[in-house]
Amino acid sequence: MAQRIPITLTVNGMQHEVAVEPRRLLVDVLRNDLGLTGTHIGCEQGVCGTCTVLVNGESVRSCLLFAVQADGAEIMTVEGLSQGDTLHPLQEAFREAQGLQCGFCTPGMLLIAYELLSTNPAPSEAQIREAVSANLCRCTGYQGIIEAVQLAAARQAVTAAR
Amino acid sequence: MKPPPFDYFAPRSQPEALSLLAQHGDRAKVLAGGQSLIPLLNFRLAHPEVLVDINRIPELDYVREWDGGVVIGALTRQATLERAESVRARLPILSEAAHLIGHLPIRHRGTVGGNLAHADPASELPAVMLALEAEFVLASQQGRRVIAADQFFTGMMTTALQPGELLVEVRARGLPASTGGAFTEITRRHGDYALVGAVALITLNAVGRCERARLALCGVGPTPLRVPEAEQMLIGEVPAGDLLVAVAERAAAATDPPSDVHGSASFRRKLARVAVRQAIETAAARAGG
Amino acid sequence: MAVAQHTWIGKDIPRLEDPKLLTGRATYSDDVKLPGMLEVAVLLSPHAHARIARIDTSKAKALPGVVAVITGEDIVKHTNPLPRFCPEEVVEYALAVGKVRYAGEAVAAVAAVDRYRAEDAIGLIEVEYEPLPPVTDPFEAMKPEAPRVHENLPSNLVFEKTLSFGDVEGDFATADRVIRRRLRYHRASAQPLETAGAVCQYNPATGRMDVWSNTNMLNYVGWLLALTLKLPPSKLNLIPMHVGGSFGSKHILAKVIAIAGTLARLTGRPVKFMEDRVENLIACENLACDRYYDAELAVTNDGIFTALRIKVVDDYGAYFQLSHGTHGNALAQQTGPYRIRSLEYSVQCVLTNKCQQGVFRGAGSDAGNFCLERLVDAAAEELGIDRIEIRRRNFIQPEQFPYKTPAGNIYDSGNYPAVLDKALQMAGLDELRKLQEQARQQGRYIGIGLATAHQRSVYGPTEFWFWGAAPGLTSVPESVGISVGPTGDFTVTLFSPFWGNSPETVCAQVLAEEFGIDPSNVTIAYEGSMHGLPAAGPGGSRMTVMLTGAMVGAARKLKDKMARIAAHLLEASPEDIIFQEGRAVVRGVPEKSLSYADIGFKAYWFRLDLPPGMESGLEARHTYDHPYLTLPSPDRKDLGAFYPMMAHGAHIPVVEVNPETGQVTILRYVAVHDVGTIVNPKSLRGQIAGGITQGIGMALFEECVYDEQGQPLSSSFMSYLIPTAMEVPKFEIGHVETPSPFTEYGVKGGGEGGRMIAPAALASAVEDALRPLGVKVDEVPMTPERIVRWVEAARQSG
Repeated sequence: MAQRIPITLTVNGMQHEVAVEPRRLLVDVLRNDLGLTGTHIGCEQGVCGTCTVLVNGESVRSCLLFAVQADGAEIMTVEGLSQGDTLHPLQEAFREAQGLQCGFCTPGMLLIAYELLSTNPAPSEAQIREAVSANLCRCTGYQGIIEAVQLAAARQAVTAAR
Repeated sequence: MKPPPFDYFAPRSQPEALSLLAQHGDRAKVLAGGQSLIPLLNFRLAHPEVLVDINRIPELDYVREWDGGVVIGALTRQATLERAESVRARLPILSEAAHLIGHLPIRHRGTVGGNLAHADPASELPAVMLALEAEFVLASQQGRRVIAADQFFTGMMTTALQPGELLVEVRARGLPASTGGAFTEITRRHGDYALVGAVALITLNAVGRCERARLALCGVGPTPLRVPEAEQMLIGEVPAGDLLVAVAERAAAATDPPSDVHGSASFRRKLARVAVRQAIETAAARAGG
Repeated sequence: MAVAQHTWIGKDIPRLEDPKLLTGRATYSDDVKLPGMLEVAVLLSPHAHARIARIDTSKAKALPGVVAVITGEDIVKHTNPLPRFCPEEVVEYALAVGKVRYAGEAVAAVAAVDRYRAEDAIGLIEVEYEPLPPVTDPFEAMKPEAPRVHENLPSNLVFEKTLSFGDVEGDFATADRVIRRRLRYHRASAQPLETAGAVCQYNPATGRMDVWSNTNMLNYVGWLLALTLKLPPSKLNLIPMHVGGSFGSKHILAKVIAIAGTLARLTGRPVKFMEDRVENLIACENLACDRYYDAELAVTNDGIFTALRIKVVDDYGAYFQLSHGTHGNALAQQTGPYRIRSLEYSVQCVLTNKCQQGVFRGAGSDAGNFCLERLVDAAAEELGIDRIEIRRRNFIQPEQFPYKTPAGNIYDSGNYPAVLDKALQMAGLDELRKLQEQARQQGRYIGIGLATAHQRSVYGPTEFWFWGAAPGLTSVPESVGISVGPTGDFTVTLFSPFWGNSPETVCAQVLAEEFGIDPSNVTIAYEGSMHGLPAAGPGGSRMTVMLTGAMVGAARKLKDKMARIAAHLLEASPEDIIFQEGRAVVRGVPEKSLSYADIGFKAYWFRLDLPPGMESGLEARHTYDHPYLTLPSPDRKDLGAFYPMMAHGAHIPVVEVNPETGQVTILRYVAVHDVGTIVNPKSLRGQIAGGITQGIGMALFEECVYDEQGQPLSSSFMSYLIPTAMEVPKFEIGHVETPSPFTEYGVKGGGEGGRMIAPAALASAVEDALRPLGVKVDEVPMTPERIVRWVEAARQSG
C-alpha cells in the first residue's frame, strides 16, 4: 500500500487537507485533487514555466515540487487573482494589450508578472523581458506580454490593488 | 513524466537527517531544492528508493561572514546567494554566477549545496568554488570532514560524498584587495546551462601586473576544471593582448569537452578559448577599476 | 483598391476569448475529469527499426491500479489503420504491429488509475526486439539496396514526380546566367505548450463514443477517425476543446484518439491519454518538412528572373499520412512575388526510420520561400545588383492582378512595391548602413537582412492530390450558425475549435458590423461532430477569411428573415428594411423600427403575427465554401486556383554575429505585412510577432536532431530550443492593406506569415553580416557551431 501523507495546503486563502503519495507533484495535486485546473502542465522538467505558482510569495515550478514539500505553505494560483467575475487589474492589462492567444502559458505568465510588480513596481523593459524569459510562450512572441506588464505597471495594477 | 515511487522522510534536524542517511546508505538520495533531482525522477532516469528531504532543517540555510569571505549553509537558496549583501560585498563573483543559474523560479528553490552535490559539469557554481578554492564541509554520524573544492568533484556528476554523508556547508575565503572577478558564460539561450563557462579571478599589483590568478571552466569535461598552468602564465604580466590568447589556448588544450546536440567537443574547445579570454579581460578591468 | 471604412471591422476590441483564458477557466483537454477515469501511459520503442519478437505484459497487468494493457495485437483486432491521405500502401496503426519503424513509436499502452501508476506499469512490460538496420539518411534510403521501412513497398522512395510549367528548358537555355544553390532546411517541430491528447468515453448501450480532444478537424475528417475506431461516423462525438496552441500539429490526432478510444471500449471506463513532452517531441507524428534543395534561377544580366527549377528531397520519416501535401502547398507560391514565367519542380519523398511529418505553420511554403529568397540574394550578389533593386525589377506590379502564376494558382491582389517601401522607410536603411560600416571598422559584424515573400491563405484541398493523377477531395468549407433569441440575444455557433487564433472575436466583429450591435454582447457556442456542419478548422491561415464569409452568408439569411418579419409587422417592404444600432428600421422612416428583441420575441412565440407560411424561430446557418477554387487540368499543366488569397510581407532584420562563437543577436526586426483588410489589428500583430518568433526559432535554434542509429536527440525542452523573451527583439510591425476581390470584406489570412518569411530574412541578415568574410548561408537553423564552421571554411578558401 503506497505511503500517503496528510498535508495542508492553503491555496488562494483557502485551506485544503489532502493525503497524498510523496511522489505526487504539486501541479498534479492542485489540478486533480483540488480541481484547480488553471495551472497547466507543459514540460514536467522545469523549463517552460507553464506550471508556475507562487509558494509563500515566490514563483516556483510546481512540476518540480512534491506536494508534501508544500505542506503548510501559502500557495497562489491564477484562480486567486480574480474576484468572482471581476478581472484583477493585471488581467485587465493583459487583455487590453493582448498578452495572450491560446491562453495556455497565461496563468504562469500572470503569476510571474504579479511577482515582478510586487517586488519591482516600476520595472524597465529590460527587466520585464528578463522576468518574462523564465516562461515560454509559443504564440505571442512575447511582445503583447511585455506591453501588458508595462501597462499594468503604469497603472500600479499590483501594488494599488492591495 | 511522473516520478517512480520512493519512501519519503522529512527530518527536522541535522542529526535526524544523518541518522536516516546512515540507515539507508546508497538507497537514499538527499532532496534539497529538487530542481536537478526532480527532473531526473520525472524522466525516470533515477530511481532512489528513499528520499531524505532536508528542507525542514532551517539551520542549514545561512550566509555568514567568515575570514574575509563567507560561509554558506548547504540549504541556502540560490536566490538568497544572489542577493545577499555580504556576498555582493566580499565575493561578488558568487552573486554573478548565481544570477546565471536558470531563471528566478528555479533559484527560489534550488540550493547551493544541492547544486554542488549534483555536480553537473555544466553548472556554474562548482567552477566558481574551484576558482575560490572553497572548502566543503561533509557531515555524517561519524562527525565532520572538510574537503577542498579540487578534491570534491571526482567525476561526471560524482563527488567525494559517501553514502551516509551530507554536504552541510561551503566556505570561501575572501580575496586579496585589487582582485577582480568575472564569469563569462556562453549559452544557446538566456538561462540555459553553459555550453562553456569560464571564471577568472585576477589580482593586480600597483603597476597593473597580475600577481595572482585563478581560472576555472565549466562545461568542458566531466568535472569543473582549474588550469594552474594557464594561471601561471599570467603571473607577473599585464593581462592583455596576445598573452590572453596564449593563456586561453593553454586552458582550452586542457579541456576534454563533451559532444552533444548543442555542440561538438571541438566547438566547445573553441568557445572555451573565447570564454577564458573574455573572463580574464573583464576580471582584469574590474581589478584595475 | 482602397480599403472601405467600417465601424467594427478593423477596430481593436478586447477579445471575447480572453476572460476565461485569463482566469484559468477555459477547459483544455487535460482539464477534463470524469468519474472512474483512467489515465494512459505508452511504451515507446527504443529502436528506430526493429522487429517485435515478443511482448510480455503480464507483470504490468498484475500491478495494482492497472486496468488494461494493450499491444499491437489488440489494436489490430479493435481498430483499422490510422487515416492517411496518400494512395500508397503506407499503413500505420496506433500501436506498432510486428515491427517498429521509428524510435518513439508506441508499442504498448497501459490504462491505470493514474498516470503515475500507468508509468510504473510501462516499466514492467518486457519487449524482445530484433533490431534491424535503420535508415536515417534519405539519400541512402532511396537506394534499392537500403533496408525497407515498409516491406510491402517497393522502395523507401515512396513518391517521385516532376511537374513542369512553361518553357523551362528554353528559358534556362537562353538565360544569361544560371544561379544555383544547394540548400538545407532542417526538421523542426511545432511544440505548442499544450501537448496532444484525448479523453474518450464509450457507452455500449448507445454505441456512442464521446471524445474530448484537442484535435482540430472535428467536422471535416472526424468521420475518418470513426472508421479507424470501427464506429459508425454518426456515433463518434468529437467535442471541441480549448486548444493550447497547435500550429498545425493537432489537425487529426488519430493515434491518441485511437489509443484512448480502444482502451475506453475495453475497460468500460473513461480513458485519458495526454502525451507528455517527450512524447510530443519524439512521437507526435507532426514534424515539419526536412528538405534538401538543389535549385536554380535563370536570370538575365539585367537581373530579370525568367525561370526557376527546383529539385527537392524531403525526408518524411516512417509514414506518409499527409502525402506530399506540403509540396502541393509550396506550388501555391513557389515563384514568389516575382514575374518568373516558367517553373519546374521535382520532388522525391523518402521514408526513413524517424517520426513522420505532419505540417507546421507554413506547411512547406516556408521552406519554399527560403529556397527562392536565397536564390534571389545569390542572384543579386553574382550580378552585382543591389538586393532591393533586383526585387523591385521583378515584382509583379499592382496593375497585374489577379495574376496567374506559371503553376496555375492565382494571386488575387497585392502591392509588393508599397510593402517594401514601407519596410524600408520603417527600417531607416541609410542609418542602418552607417551603423554597419562603423561596426565593421570596429571589427564587429552587423548584417541587414531582406526577404520579400508570400504567405498564401485559405488552402484548397486539391493541393493534397494534384501531384498524382487521380482526382480527390474538393471541399474545404467552414460553417457558422447565428441565432437571435426571444430577448434579442445573439449567439454564434462555431464548428471548429479555438487554437489561440481569435475565431470568437472575428465572428463577433463581423456580426457587429452586419447588425450594428456591440460585439462584447455576443454569445459564442461550439458544436462538435454529432451535430456539426462541415468545417475544416484552423490551418493554412484560412479562418479569418472563412469565418467572415460564413458569417456574412449566415447574416444574409438571417437578415432576410428578420427583414420579412419586420416588414410584415411595420407594413413596409422587406427591401426597405435596414439594420443599424440594434434595430430593424424602415429606410427613411426612422420612427418605424423594431428592436431585435421585438423581432426575436415574435419569431419564437407569436407564429400568427409572422408572415404567412413562415417558420417559427430565428436562426440561420451557412456553410461557406472556398471562395475561389478551380480544378487542376487533367494533364496537370495548370493546377488551377487553389490558394489564391495571397498575402505578402517584407522583413528587414538587423543582426550582429559573433564569428568566434557563432552567436547571433537580433538588434532590430522590421516586418511589414499585407493581409488584405484587417479585422482585429492587435490580434493580427500578435500572430505576426508569434509567427516571427517561431521563424527565429527555425532560423537559429530549432531542429529535430537524430543520430546515425535514428535516436532522436532533441527529446526534451533542454535540447529542442524554443526562443524565450530574451532571444527576440521588440518587433516593429507595419501594415499595408490591399483587399482581396474574392472574399467578404476583402480579408486575407495572416496567421502563418511570420514563420514563413523570417527564416529567409534572417539567413539574408547573417549572410550580410559575414559578407566581409565571404560566408554564404544555405542552411537553417544557423546554429553557433554551423556559423563558426562556415566562417572558418570561408577563411580557408579565401
